[in-house]
Amino acid sequence: MLIRVEGLTYTYAAGTPLERAALRGVSLDIRAGERVGILGPTGSGKSTLVQHVAGLLKPTAGRVWLGDVVAHARTRAARARRRQVGLAFQYPEDQTFERTVFREVAFGPRNLGLDEAEVLARVRWALGMVGLDTTRVMGRVPFTLSGGELRRVALAGVLAMRPEVLILDEPTAGLDPRGRRELLAQVRTWQEETGMTLLLVSHDLAELPRVVERAVVLAGGGVVADGPVRQVLSDGEALRVAGLDVPPTVALLRALRTAGWSVRTDRLLPEEAAAEIAEARDILHSIADDGGGHP
Amino acid sequence: MNLLLPGTHVAADSVLHRLDPRVKMGGALLLMVLPFAAGSKDRPCLASTLLLVAFVAVLVVLSTAPIRALLRTLRTVLWVGFFMFFFYLFTTPGQPLVAVGGIRVSWEGLLAGGTQIYRLCLLVTVSALLTFTTSPAQLAHGLEAVLAPLGRLCLPVREFTRAFTIVLTIALRFVPTLFDEIEKITRAQQARGADVRSPSPVQRVRTWVPLFVPIFVSAFRRADELAMAMEARGFRSAHRRTHLHRLQLTGRDLMASLVLVAVGLAILGLERWAQ
Repeated sequence: MLIRVEGLTYTYAAGTPLERAALRGVSLDIRAGERVGILGPTGSGKSTLVQHVAGLLKPTAGRVWLGDVVAHARTRAARARRRQVGLAFQYPEDQTFERTVFREVAFGPRNLGLDEAEVLARVRWALGMVGLDTTRVMGRVPFTLSGGELRRVALAGVLAMRPEVLILDEPTAGLDPRGRRELLAQVRTWQEETGMTLLLVSHDLAELPRVVERAVVLAGGGVVADGPVRQVLSDGEALRVAGLDVPPTVALLRALRTAGWSVRTDRLLPEEAAAEIAEARDILHSIADDGGGHP
Repeated sequence: MNLLLPGTHVAADSVLHRLDPRVKMGGALLLMVLPFAAGSKDRPCLASTLLLVAFVAVLVVLSTAPIRALLRTLRTVLWVGFFMFFFYLFTTPGQPLVAVGGIRVSWEGLLAGGTQIYRLCLLVTVSALLTFTTSPAQLAHGLEAVLAPLGRLCLPVREFTRAFTIVLTIALRFVPTLFDEIEKITRAQQARGADVRSPSPVQRVRTWVPLFVPIFVSAFRRADELAMAMEARGFRSAHRRTHLHRLQLTGRDLMASLVLVAVGLAILGLERWAQ
């Protein structure tokens, strides 16, 4: 399904002294199966935007279309569409409530009205997808798990609904660097296996290019950059406007360039940057060999 | 959340914001008690009701509080009020207006039920107004100052008042936070297909379970973390403290007190006269 955001504006606490515009006229199209990263500083409207896509907030102005229905509409068709959009909030482990891990993950599938055999199959599948030992954790009380495990259980709860569109709001927040890398690698696998549309809100600029193909940068409630992830993340100007830093690899390549090396600056991943630098070094060496006659 | 709940404070600059917290607390207490100052029929007379409503309406306008948010809050409160309304409607003896089988509805019952709703709305409005115009720190300071004379009588009272003001301040501070949390968790469960807006009451009550567990868990965790943070910063409830800002009554506070006393006397007078 095509997600179309049209002139979306949202104001919190409209008409009170606490009034605050979170989004101002945001427009975007997201194709089925696309992998989109949403970046921006705190308070830029990322979470508000993705909640609109899930139909949880009613826009102050503008519209969000899920295919041919309006996301927040109260019709049967709209409700059916919303169920195909899975959203995991920030710190999803804070929203767990069931007595066992199984029941926790089964909550979504049961709300879809699936029969118990299908629910069980989905719970097993989802727990496997998040890398948990299904037989070990299914009967456990969620609060006895570690923070990282509980996060995975909560994400499994969303995956088990087998959404067509998966939205993750900072899934790696509060994890250690290794946990972040592993989780993002898993997110990539989920997308590849199911072909779902992925909206990933993340601050992990260094890891993001491994997961998404397109990046949208929000700042002050508006879109300041939208394009292929390489282009957006190596564009220092757009990131500076949004108050974000370029990824460390890009910063290094830029410094080398300033120092006179002829390297491209849009190599985002460490291994790509290393290859680029090695290539530039080899060229330098060969020039040196040709001209200077050193051994 | 587009409601004006008791506990919400906005640091605006209005006449009411600048008043001394002691005057505001005293005034709030007076305005909450006055609707109960009834004549012999256990309900206030029309004239005093109108006067009180008009006075509170003027205060709301003076405070620059968002009137639409306040009305929305009162609409929510009405759900509770309806129960009280029907309770009084059916249980108050009097001349029956309508009688269906064993159920009789009297004019007195109608008035008594209406009175309860009026009192409830006034209670919510006045307490919302107090916290809207007075920061939790000011409230605590005012409360401590008001209770201080009790402390001179014996020591435990003083310690108790300090602890009590802190408990109250923290409780007020977390009312809006708790409501934000409820809203966030509601949305998270909605995203997992919970039918929060289902018309069936049974279905609705069932959707509360997924809300209450995480909310209680986070409230307890928050309380624990807060306690530790306070201790880490050397907090002891029994310590005697001085204040950066001393409460000082000004001419403005005197004027406000006089107005409050005048309104109070006027209402008591009207009630007396109506008897």
